Amino acid sequence: MKRLCGADTLVRLLGSSTRRRLCVPFADKSVRATRFVLIAIILFPAFAHAYAGPGAGFAVLSSFWAIFVAFLYSFYALMTWPFRQLFRFLRRRNAYGKATFERAVILGFDGMDPELADRFMKEGRLPNLAKLRDKGTFSKLRTTFPAISPVAWSTFMTGVNPGKHNIYDFLACDRNSYLPYLSSAEIKGPKRHIKIGKYSIPFGKTEIKAMRKGTPFWHWLGNAGIFSSVIRVPVTFPPEKFQGVLLSGMCVPDLKGSQGTFCLCTTRMSSDKFREGGVRVPIERKNGVCRSYVPGPDNPVKEGAGEVRMEYEIRPDAGVKSARFVVGSEKFTLKVGEYSEWITAEFKAGMGFTAHGICRFYLKEISPEVEVYVTPVNIDPGHPDLPISHPVTYSIYLAKLFGPYATLGLAEDTWALNEHVLDDDAFLAQAYGNHEDRERMLFDALDKTKQGLCTCVFDTTDRIQHMFWRYLDEDHPAARDVPHSEHPQVIQDLYQRMDRLIGRVMEKIDDDTLLMVISDHGFKSFARCMNLNAWLHQNGYLALKDGKTESGDWFEDVDWSRTRAYTMGLNGLYLNIKGREKQGIVEPFEVEALKGELQKGLNGLVDPASGTVGITGVFIADNVYRGPYSENSPDLIVGYGAGYRASWDSVMGKVTGQIFEDNTKAWSGDHCIDPRLVPGVLFSSHKFIEEKPAIVDVAPTILKLFGLALPAHFDGKPWTLAAKAH
Amino acid sequence: MAWLTSPLAIVIIVSLVVGLVMVVLFGYTSDQKAIGIAKDQLKAHLLAVRLYRDQIPVVMGSYGKILRGTGRYLKLAFKPLLYVIIPITLLMVQIDRYLGQTPIAIGTPFLLTVRATSSDELGWLNDTVLDLPPEITMTAPPVNIAAENEIVVRLVGSREGKYELKMGPPGQSVTKSVCIGDGLPRISTVRLRGHFWSRIFSSAEPALSENSPIESISINYPDRDIDIAGYGMNWIWLFFILSMMAGFIFKELLGIQI
Repeated sequence: MKRLCGADTLVRLLGSSTRRRLCVPFADKSVRATRFVLIAIILFPAFAHAYAGPGAGFAVLSSFWAIFVAFLYSFYALMTWPFRQLFRFLRRRNAYGKATFERAVILGFDGMDPELADRFMKEGRLPNLAKLRDKGTFSKLRTTFPAISPVAWSTFMTGVNPGKHNIYDFLACDRNSYLPYLSSAEIKGPKRHIKIGKYSIPFGKTEIKAMRKGTPFWHWLGNAGIFSSVIRVPVTFPPEKFQGVLLSGMCVPDLKGSQGTFCLCTTRMSSDKFREGGVRVPIERKNGVCRSYVPGPDNPVKEGAGEVRMEYEIRPDAGVKSARFVVGSEKFTLKVGEYSEWITAEFKAGMGFTAHGICRFYLKEISPEVEVYVTPVNIDPGHPDLPISHPVTYSIYLAKLFGPYATLGLAEDTWALNEHVLDDDAFLAQAYGNHEDRERMLFDALDKTKQGLCTCVFDTTDRIQHMFWRYLDEDHPAARDVPHSEHPQVIQDLYQRMDRLIGRVMEKIDDDTLLMVISDHGFKSFARCMNLNAWLHQNGYLALKDGKTESGDWFEDVDWSRTRAYTMGLNGLYLNIKGREKQGIVEPFEVEALKGELQKGLNGLVDPASGTVGITGVFIADNVYRGPYSENSPDLIVGYGAGYRASWDSVMGKVTGQIFEDNTKAWSGDHCIDPRLVPGVLFSSHKFIEEKPAIVDVAPTILKLFGLALPAHFDGKPWTLAAKAH
Repeated sequence: MAWLTSPLAIVIIVSLVVGLVMVVLFGYTSDQKAIGIAKDQLKAHLLAVRLYRDQIPVVMGSYGKILRGTGRYLKLAFKPLLYVIIPITLLMVQIDRYLGQTPIAIGTPFLLTVRATSSDELGWLNDTVLDLPPEITMTAPPVNIAAENEIVVRLVGSREGKYELKMGPPGQSVTKSVCIGDGLPRISTVRLRGHFWSRIFSSAEPALSENSPIESISINYPDRDIDIAGYGMNWIWLFFILSMMAGFIFKELLGIQI
C-alpha cells in the first residue's frame, strides 16, 4: 500500500531519511516540526536552500561547485605529481641538486640611493638594512648607460648590456619621422575589420610586440625546473611564457594606451592644457547635481567616433564637505581630500565591445567649485583586456585575493603632482596605497615560493624621491617658498618604511634563502634643467626654419636640411645621418668627427648662472654598447652633472631660447645623469666578495647560485659568495 | 490564452516572479560586499591550486582555504536565507496544493485511508459508517490493517466535482474532501488531527477535532507530472531550475552578488 501521509513533494526533496521520519505517525509537538525545519536547513543545505529561492540556491550550488572543482584540481595535482616530478627528474635531473640556496629573494627598490641609505643607517634609522650590511653585503651597484629604470632593469633581468636587449630609454626615435615611440612594447590593433554600416568590427587579436630583447634569467631557471615568482619588474610587458608566475611592471599602458593619463573633472572653466599626462574635463552642474565623465580609449568599432566615455554623477553636500558619487552601478561617498577605492570602469563602445578598467576618484574641492581628480584608467587586473601577467590568470588570482590593484606601469601619478592637480599628501596617499598592495603580493609570493626565485620591484622609492627631493636640498628652486625648517621628512620616512619591510621579509626567510636588496640607480637633485636642443641650436648643429627662434614639441619648425644633431628623450643625442635618418645630411664619413666635436663641446659644459659643470661626461655609444641592437641606440649618451638633467622641453624635442633654467616642478630629484654619479645599491643576507658589483652581474650570479651554466652571451660576471653560514 | 492556465505556464510565470523577488530580497538582506569578497577569495584559492600545482603544500593549503572559504560563504548566505525561507516555503506549499497532484480521474479507483490514533480506537473504526455522495461508490469492502491502526477503503468517482466523504457514528462524524475529474483544483491529500506544522506543509483542510479518535484521513491522489520534451517532471524540479535561471538572469541585470 502506498503511503503518502500528506508529506508530498517537500518530503521527496528532503531525502529518504527525512521521508521516513514523516511517514511514522506525526509527532505530537509542533516544536519538533520547527526543529526539523531548522535541522533540515543545516544538514541538507542544498535542498533546503533550494527551497529558499534562487539566491540561496546559487550560494549553495556555488559552494559545492567550488569544493568539487577544488577537489578535482587537488586530486589531479596529487595524482600527477609523482609523474611530473619523474618527468622533470629525467629531463633535468635534480633541479636543486647543485643549488647553493633553496630560494633567492630579490627585492628591487627602484632608485634607492647608496649614499642616503648609508647616511640613514649611520643615523640608526635603518636597523634591518644595517643588519644585512653587517652580516652580508652592502655596496654600491654600478648601473647602466644611461641610468634609467627600463634600461637598468632590462640589464638586470637579461644579464647583458643595452646593445643586446635594445632598451636605451623610455622612448626611442623613429628615424623616418623624428617622432618618439615607446621603446618597450608596440601595441597594434587587429589587422582585419568587418564593416557593417558605420561600424568597423575588429576581427582578430590585438598584437603586442615586445621590443625588449634578450632572455630574462628566470627563463633559464624555469628551463632547469626552478620555479619563479616575478612581481612588477619593469619592462616585462608583454609577459612572456616561462615556468613561474609574473605580473608585468613599468611600461604596462593604461586603458587609453598611454603611460598614464589622469583626468581633472572641474566646474572651473579653463582653456589651459596640461603639459604632461592629463586632461581637463568639464563638470556640468544642474539642480545641485553634477555630471561629468571619464575619458576612455578610442572607440574601436566606430570610425571617427572619438573616445568612449564613462559618465558619472556627483551629488555634493557642502554642509558636510562630502559628495555622493554614482559611477555605473557603484555608489560611494567621499569627503574632500579622500580617495575612493578602485572603481570598476566599463567603457561600452557598441556592438558588444566593452573595455574594462579600474580607476580611483579623489574629491579635491566641493565649494564654491567642484573638482574631482580621477587616476589614469588602469587595465582591470580581474578582467584584463590585455595580458599583464603570466599566466593570464595570475593577475586575476591577485585581484580576487586582494581586490583590484594598480596595473599601470607608472602607477604613481607624478604628472598630477607636477601639474598641481594633486598636492603632496594626496600623492603620497596614492603612492603608499599602491605600495601596500605590492607588499601584500610580495608576502603572498613568499608564502607560495618556498623553493626557487621570488623577486619583486617596488617603485615607491623612485617616485617619492623624484617628487620630494626638493625637501632634501637646502635651496631647491621647487621648494624655495617653504622654509627649510618646515620641510617634511618624506624621503627619510620612505627609507624607514622600506627598512621595516625588509625586517618583515627577514622574518620569513631562513639561512637557506638568499635575500638581495638592489636598486637600479641612485638619486641626485634635479635643480637645474638643460635644454640640449637649445645648445645644439645656438652652436649651429640644429637649425630652425627661417624666422623661427624656438620650435614646438617634437621638432616642429626644425629645418632638417640644415640640422646635424638633435636630442629627444632623457640622455640620447642623435646625429642626422644621411641614409639613416629620412632627411639626414651628415655623410657617414663625417660621423666620427662630429661625435668627437660634440663630445668635446659638451663635456664639462658650465652653467653660467652657477659656475658649476652641467655635463660631466659624454659617451660615444659605440664604446659602451655591444650587440646586435646597438645600431638602434642614440649616437651619444649625455651624462649630466649632479643637480642637472635634460629640461622638460628638451626631452620632448623642443628648442627653446634658453639653455639653462631652474627646475621649479615637484619632480625635483632625478637619476638620468652621468651614470657614474648615481650607482644603485646592493644589500644581501650572505656576503659576496666583489669589489665593483654591477647590475649586469645579478643574472649570472643567480644562475650560478642555482648551479646552472651561464649562457655565453652574458656580459655580467657572477659574484663569489664568501661562505655560507652552515 | 488557455495556455496561460496550464501547469507549465503557471510554473514558468511563478518561477520568473520568484526569481526576481528573491534576488532583489537577497540583495537587500545580504552583506553584498562581504559576499563579493568571500566569492573572490574562493576563486583566488581555486586559481592558486592551478597556478602552483607543482607545489603540493600550496595545493593542500589552498584546498583547506577553499573549505574554510566555503563555510564563510554559506554563513553569509544564511542570513538572507532566513528572510526568504518562510514566505517561499509557504508559497511553495500553496502552489503544491494545485500542482503537486492531479484530481482522481472519473472511473479510476482510489484509496481512502483512515488511521486511528491508537489500536484502542480500531473498534470505533470498525463500527464507523462511511456516508458517500451518489457520485462516489465503494468498489470493495474496507480492509482493516491492524498493525497500522488503519482502515483502507477503495472508492471510485463517476462525475467531476469536489465531494465530501463523511465517516463516523452520527454526531461524531468527520469529513474528507475528494476531487474527481481534471483541471487544477486545490487538492488536500490528507486531513489531520492537531500537528500544526504538519498541516501547514501537508493539508489544505481544517484540523480534525482534538478529541477525535481519527489521526488522519488521506487519499492517494496521483502525482502530477509536467511534460517537458516528452519527459514527465514534477513541478518542483522545474520550478527549481527555472527560478535558478531567472535568478541568474536577474542578478546579472540588477548587479546583485549571490
